[in-house]
Amino acid sequence: MKWENFRFALFEKAPEALWEHSLIVVITITLAILISVPLGIFLSRPKFKKFGLVTLNILNLLQAVPGIAVIALALPILGLGMKPAIVALLFQSLLPIVRNTIAGLLGVSSDVKEAASGMGMSQRRILLEVELPLAVPIILSGIRTATVYVVSIGTLASLIGAGGLGNLIMGGLALFRPEYLLVGAGLGALMAIFLDRMINYLEHRITPPGMGAE
Amino acid sequence: MTLSDFTSFLMKNSKTIMEYSENHFTLVLLAVGISLAIWVPVGLLLTKSDKWAARVLALANTIFCIPSLSMFAILVTIPMFGLGRKSALLALVLYAMMPLIRSVYDGVKNVDRNVIEAARGMGMGTRRILIEILVPLGMPIIFAGFRITVVMTTGIAAIATYIGERNLGRFIQEGLIRSNTPMMVTGALIISVIAIGLDTILGLVEKRIVPKGLRISR
Repeated sequence: MKWENFRFALFEKAPEALWEHSLIVVITITLAILISVPLGIFLSRPKFKKFGLVTLNILNLLQAVPGIAVIALALPILGLGMKPAIVALLFQSLLPIVRNTIAGLLGVSSDVKEAASGMGMSQRRILLEVELPLAVPIILSGIRTATVYVVSIGTLASLIGAGGLGNLIMGGLALFRPEYLLVGAGLGALMAIFLDRMINYLEHRITPPGMGAE
Repeated sequence: MTLSDFTSFLMKNSKTIMEYSENHFTLVLLAVGISLAIWVPVGLLLTKSDKWAARVLALANTIFCIPSLSMFAILVTIPMFGLGRKSALLALVLYAMMPLIRSVYDGVKNVDRNVIEAARGMGMGTRRILIEILVPLGMPIIFAGFRITVVMTTGIAAIATYIGERNLGRFIQEGLIRSNTPMMVTGALIISVIAIGLDTILGLVEKRIVPKGLRISR
């Protein structure tokens, strides 16, 4: 181990890699939330229950596909770069959020919903003011799973030219520079753990009083 | 890439595919075996102490967050492990900690208190309660954790190709380096089919294994 290499990896290489990695994670998760939460709400409505089961099964299958395979399959179809990587990651980050949105909304006790409709609330207001707030902790927990996943598979996205912390790790493995490995891998691990803790904290903060953590 | 590329690749490389699959499965089997031997007893022990359960589960959660490539990369820098199977195994066993401990713990904790009381009232000892009541009743949740562990291990094992394992991930690695699309896609498809297959089969077993009174509709 040489301090010089370590310094170079940490101060010259890491900032750009970290920036690219954050970009991948933020874009993917934002898109995933924008797609999955409405999809989850839609599928949890009683009318579309059958459809929901099919969708969940398809997403379940997609989820079983290993991350490295998804990345490898994305290359011939979508090409090289950050955009294909984001699309590939997006596919797999949908399931946890859709599943938890459905679970959260269906978990709202029917007594509460009846009380709300007894108070004269419309379906729309019940969804926005009763069901969603009560389901938010569970939805957030799905977002947390998806985020950790995207950070993790994001390191593999460097294989198809998306950049990110994977570049440092792959470079470190190719040249066998432990300093590169430690910086790239360490930052990746810290990023995942940090985001996990942060969303976990949000989950606890946002849980409506009276619901309490289980 | 056409279908004929794909089939000709399969034909030409059937020997390598067999070799890589064998390596892949050996690694997965070893990892899952060791994980079960370590984490199931740990999970059972943790049901005795809530304080320790919280600590260990937090640790397992943190480990589970670490990106798999990072985990392999970090282990490789430790001289005792280095490149190769030891690092790969350790990483896979560490990843299995979260799903296995969590499911064993949740499974046992979820068993109805009254059932345990009834068993104790019938004169069962702690050991018999564990073997005859807690484990069978907790089985659905425990098995779900096992299923996740197997599917996940199969996927992550492929990444171990970057630290010198010669398994199915190698097709992806080499395909990428040589821009050999048929090779890469074949590798990715084989792994995906195996993972989906295992998930489906274990899912069917999961339905069978649940005691009749406990079946939950999914």
